Amino acid sequence: MRIPCPHCGARDVQEFTYLGDAKPRRPEGLDATEAAMLEYVYVRDNPRGPNDELWYHAAGCRAWLMVRRHTLTHVIESAVPTKSAKAGVAA
Amino acid sequence: MNAQPFRLPSGGLVDRTQTLSFRFDGKTYDGHPGDTLASALLANGVRLLGRSFKYHRPRGVLSVGSEEPNALVELRTGARREPNTRATIIELFEGLEATSQNRWPSLGCDFLSVDRLAGSALVAGFYYKTFMWPAAFWEKLYEPVIRRAAGLGRAARFADPDHYEKAFAFCDVLVIGAGPAGLSAALTAGRSGARVILCDEDFRLGGRLLAERREIDGRPAADWVAATLAELAALSEVRTMLRTSVFGLYDHGIFGAVERVNDHVAVPPAHQPRQRGWRIYTKRAILASGALERPIVFPGNDRPGVMLAGAVRAYVNRFGVLPGREIVVFTTGDNGWATVCDLVAAGVRLSAIVDSRSEIDPTFKALAERAGARVFAGGAVEATQGGHHVRGVVVRDSSGKHTTLSCDLLAVSNGWNPTLHLTSHQNGRPIWNEDVQAFVPGTLPPGLAVGGSAAGRFTLAQALEDGARLGREAAVEIGFRPTHIEPIPTTDAETNRVKPIWRVRGGRGKAFVDFQNDVTEKDVELAAREGFRSVEHLKRYTTLGMATDQGKTSNIAGLAIMAEQTGRAISDTGTTVFRPPFTPVAIGALAGHHRGKDFRPVRLAPTHDWSREQGAVFVETGQWLRAQYYPKPGEQDWLTTVTREVLAVRTGVGLCDVSTLGKIDIQGRDTAEFLERVYINGWKALPVGKARYGLMLREDGFVMDDGTTSRLRENHFLMTTTTANAGKVMQHLEFCHQVLWPKLDVRMVSVSEQWAQAAIAGPKSREVLRDILDAVHDISNEAFPYLAAREVTVNGGIPARLFRISFSGELAYELAVPADYGEAMMRALMAAGSPHGITPYGTEALGVMRLEKGHVAGNELNGQTTARDLGLGKMMSSKKDFIGRLMARREALLQSDRPTLVGLRPINNAERLRAGAHFISMGRTANTDNDEGYMTSVAYSPSLGHWIGLGLLKNGPRRVGERIRAVDPVRNSEIHVEICSPIFVDREGTRLHG
Amino acid sequence: MAEQATSSWCRRDAWAAIIQVGQIGAAGEPGVKVQLPANLQLATLIATTGSTGLERITKQLVGLDLPRSASIALSATHGLAWSGPGQWMLLARQRAGFSELTSLLSDEAAVSDQGDARAALCVSGRRAREVLAKGAMIDLHGKAFPVGATALTSFAHVGVQLWRIKDGPDGPAFEILVSRSMAASFWSWFAASAAEFGCNVARPG
Repeated sequence: MRIPCPHCGARDVQEFTYLGDAKPRRPEGLDATEAAMLEYVYVRDNPRGPNDELWYHAAGCRAWLMVRRHTLTHVIESAVPTKSAKAGVAA
Repeated sequence: MNAQPFRLPSGGLVDRTQTLSFRFDGKTYDGHPGDTLASALLANGVRLLGRSFKYHRPRGVLSVGSEEPNALVELRTGARREPNTRATIIELFEGLEATSQNRWPSLGCDFLSVDRLAGSALVAGFYYKTFMWPAAFWEKLYEPVIRRAAGLGRAARFADPDHYEKAFAFCDVLVIGAGPAGLSAALTAGRSGARVILCDEDFRLGGRLLAERREIDGRPAADWVAATLAELAALSEVRTMLRTSVFGLYDHGIFGAVERVNDHVAVPPAHQPRQRGWRIYTKRAILASGALERPIVFPGNDRPGVMLAGAVRAYVNRFGVLPGREIVVFTTGDNGWATVCDLVAAGVRLSAIVDSRSEIDPTFKALAERAGARVFAGGAVEATQGGHHVRGVVVRDSSGKHTTLSCDLLAVSNGWNPTLHLTSHQNGRPIWNEDVQAFVPGTLPPGLAVGGSAAGRFTLAQALEDGARLGREAAVEIGFRPTHIEPIPTTDAETNRVKPIWRVRGGRGKAFVDFQNDVTEKDVELAAREGFRSVEHLKRYTTLGMATDQGKTSNIAGLAIMAEQTGRAISDTGTTVFRPPFTPVAIGALAGHHRGKDFRPVRLAPTHDWSREQGAVFVETGQWLRAQYYPKPGEQDWLTTVTREVLAVRTGVGLCDVSTLGKIDIQGRDTAEFLERVYINGWKALPVGKARYGLMLREDGFVMDDGTTSRLRENHFLMTTTTANAGKVMQHLEFCHQVLWPKLDVRMVSVSEQWAQAAIAGPKSREVLRDILDAVHDISNEAFPYLAAREVTVNGGIPARLFRISFSGELAYELAVPADYGEAMMRALMAAGSPHGITPYGTEALGVMRLEKGHVAGNELNGQTTARDLGLGKMMSSKKDFIGRLMARREALLQSDRPTLVGLRPINNAERLRAGAHFISMGRTANTDNDEGYMTSVAYSPSLGHWIGLGLLKNGPRRVGERIRAVDPVRNSEIHVEICSPIFVDREGTRLHG
Repeated sequence: MAEQATSSWCRRDAWAAIIQVGQIGAAGEPGVKVQLPANLQLATLIATTGSTGLERITKQLVGLDLPRSASIALSATHGLAWSGPGQWMLLARQRAGFSELTSLLSDEAAVSDQGDARAALCVSGRRAREVLAKGAMIDLHGKAFPVGATALTSFAHVGVQLWRIKDGPDGPAFEILVSRSMAASFWSWFAASAAEFGCNVARPG
């Protein structure tokens, strides 16, 4: 696979590490509940189709990216820095 | 004796002015440059090339390309011996040495021939049925016997002496196959200015045109090939790669290919690789890989001398070799007649032509007359006769009458299969096309187009047309504008009708579907009867389509017979899914440079050469090589050395390289806040100039890493991580910053490589350091207490960092200087320390001392332990949120019977502890039900004079003083140990603060 | 000052005992040339998000514009290479004045010295691209990687940053920064890859 890094251009997947689903948001602060955290840490959908995922450009610009990838065809629709995508960011 | 008795007097693309000498099974033969091993052997009248996999039947050359199932030989000798190479693609070179395989004692007289020994016992599924019982017999009896009888070639017994490479290429358009379709595709794409890579597995470009007598634009096709190659060579953005097989198609237009750079010479020239594995990144790709001819299934169809009709043409036209003198053609379509035509043109007479179709075209009849051949319309070959090669065939004519014909070559043709394998690598399913009686590519992966025979468009005119069209389309799609459109070349006429028959019924004897795996029509029937009706099951049950050729000549017949047996159409059975690689690939070409000591990059500390000079023995820690211990002359074992090193630190001073620790520079207004969130303990109150031990968790509550972090300035911290986890921690911190808390002003970068760092430990360490630091720096206990951390200078202004931290429990410091000065620092410390007997020590002594102090390390930070498990639960702040806080408080992780850190000592001081031993209460049986934890780390403590250990034990801290069994089933040992505090030495920490 | 260091505190750069000067591999006219730059100074600069102060002060101090995409601004004495979002590698071709320069920059950026953290080399020659293609998973073709382009990537599993400088007399030229600890592994791969073309290694000074 090649991931179109928004900073570096298309790069071989070997340069990246995969984290997983970008949707869950970390329950922040002392008021967060254990149940919400459990959900955040462990519970994931397993969609067939386009999915927003977190990838880290470890061997490149070291940016965390949100990559929209089709889990069946591996077609990548987009890849944007999480900083601008606000992936996983607590409100 | 006539050298090369089967070489035609003229013709072909071999260089007759030069002779190459080679050996096969110990006999010497001659051939010419441009020959393959197969063509040279055929020229010499050698037809028996090997024995089959299961039945040890004699086999010869079937094909002319990489699909060859039969003619497998061992190539070269000694360390370069390579098994299962295909004689049909081995380029002949001077001194080539090849040996037949899977026979004993010799090819001509094989005692393992099953026809001799056991009749026809080895039917499909026989492994599963015959050797079920008793189970113990499998390993000791059945398997070795089967392995001896059934098999392919032998691997070399020595390491491959040659060098292999990996390489990466980028192009706009990749064209796979340099036949008529591929050449015209490359040409039209190249003319538009696109970057084109044209690959072909052959050592000469032209594809089928090399094997055919065809005309393009009214001239011999060779002229068109030459003109096309000349134009391609003149295009600077077109790259042509010979001897390069594209073997796999991967996501996003990435292809794998292997270039046989020096397989066509005996030994690669100096500094050159044998093979190069390519990864090719493409925007568009055009598959122009042609087609593979199908054999016919009939009894005795595997005998040497039975050859594909198209291969016969190739041997005649390209290599100037006539593979037989009495020739019969057995065909189900027009292609067999093309062979008749070329043989006639070469002045060869034929004995007979058997066409399964009842209607014969008048032009073919005229051709047969010129050939002097009898014609059997609506006939079939029912058997072959002969021993090691064909001596005759039995033909059944349309009336059912049998005629025996003498012959030494039977050319067979059953139509062609598009070479569409790459279109399947991304889940594409081939589709049965009734018009061309073949599977053609189904849904194509993005960016791939298929043309010519590979698309089931078998005529030369279609190939040229497809190539030109697809080359232009590919270029246009990615933004190139062809300047002008050249007319598509015209060709001479051809017909390619075919009415395939999937097997000849009525004969007796074995009729082979898959030659390489010795799968017969009966095996397919048996599979159908036993319910293995899916083609994927058929493959696994009968082994049809496995091994080096992956069924390139056999799959269709196998599934057609299955379709017939199960009353389905071929379109309903479908084919098995082709997966990479298309052709066998040497592991060396995939590994490239990365083998042996270059298997992966090794990281060396800036002080590495100094450590080596000191006699260090090194150990791998992650990617790093670290000095493990420094043996002195006369020291018999590592324990002696390590004990000396530990005692030197505990009584004087020692010096240890710690450059490999991860170091992360963190700056910005919110750095302290950031650290609060990633570490379990507090950081806001840490004063400038001080260091603190920190522990970080993963979000699931388990420990990730530990280390000391120092506040160099108000908004500038330096974090250290363990050597092994540095990369992982950096990634985690970037995640926390970029994904979780992007609003925090935190800026971090790894400075691990910038600083060389040494630990100076022991009661005399302060005196050594005083000698090194510039005089302005006061490092007295008052001015520079435990956990002080400051920027200093050495040797008159070299910037350095000094930390008073200790892993050994002694008065100790860590001094860091820019890496270029690393070696100088070690030498200066050694010089300054020599009056105190300064001793270099390695990771082993470090490990002993940390154990004596009860510090946890990698064995305890194993991803399964919480801070509480390690006795560090009190560090967890309750006043702030941090990564892992909530998950670490899960009920199960707070159970008092969770294995928790304890110290262990042997009851008998002479006994040695073993890491990995499991704890079992006294009087209990040693089994998993009674397992209460295990020993994580052990060491011999020179300070105490016996072995000590750390372990994780249920209810551990509450059981201090109890005796327990430490059972080590791996080493079959057991000793009794006493549970104690994990801190073995200087429990009050007086040395540390001294 | 470091320059006053006594002889016992000699600098020993990352290539010491790894690279020997001279010809490696095939004899004859070398297809590849390697130069080891002397006195190359490096520091990472990370800007405060949203601040333009760094842009102003780098322009003022070294006369170079801060590149906003994957490229490098170069002068005879200095360079500013983009090295990730909001991050640059500052380079200087001489030691003198570098620590003063970085301390002036530290008001506008997080500055971290990296001069000792990288092993640098300049690769040029007719066959330079072919050698790099044996490890580079990026396209170094003239159109895809023009003069002034930079990339953070890995060659043969070793992390590198490289940029293309002005072409030499015999083809393109690339400066490559290699993680110091992996210099030996990098060179093992490079030397094996360059051998077939013949490679000349020079070390000025």
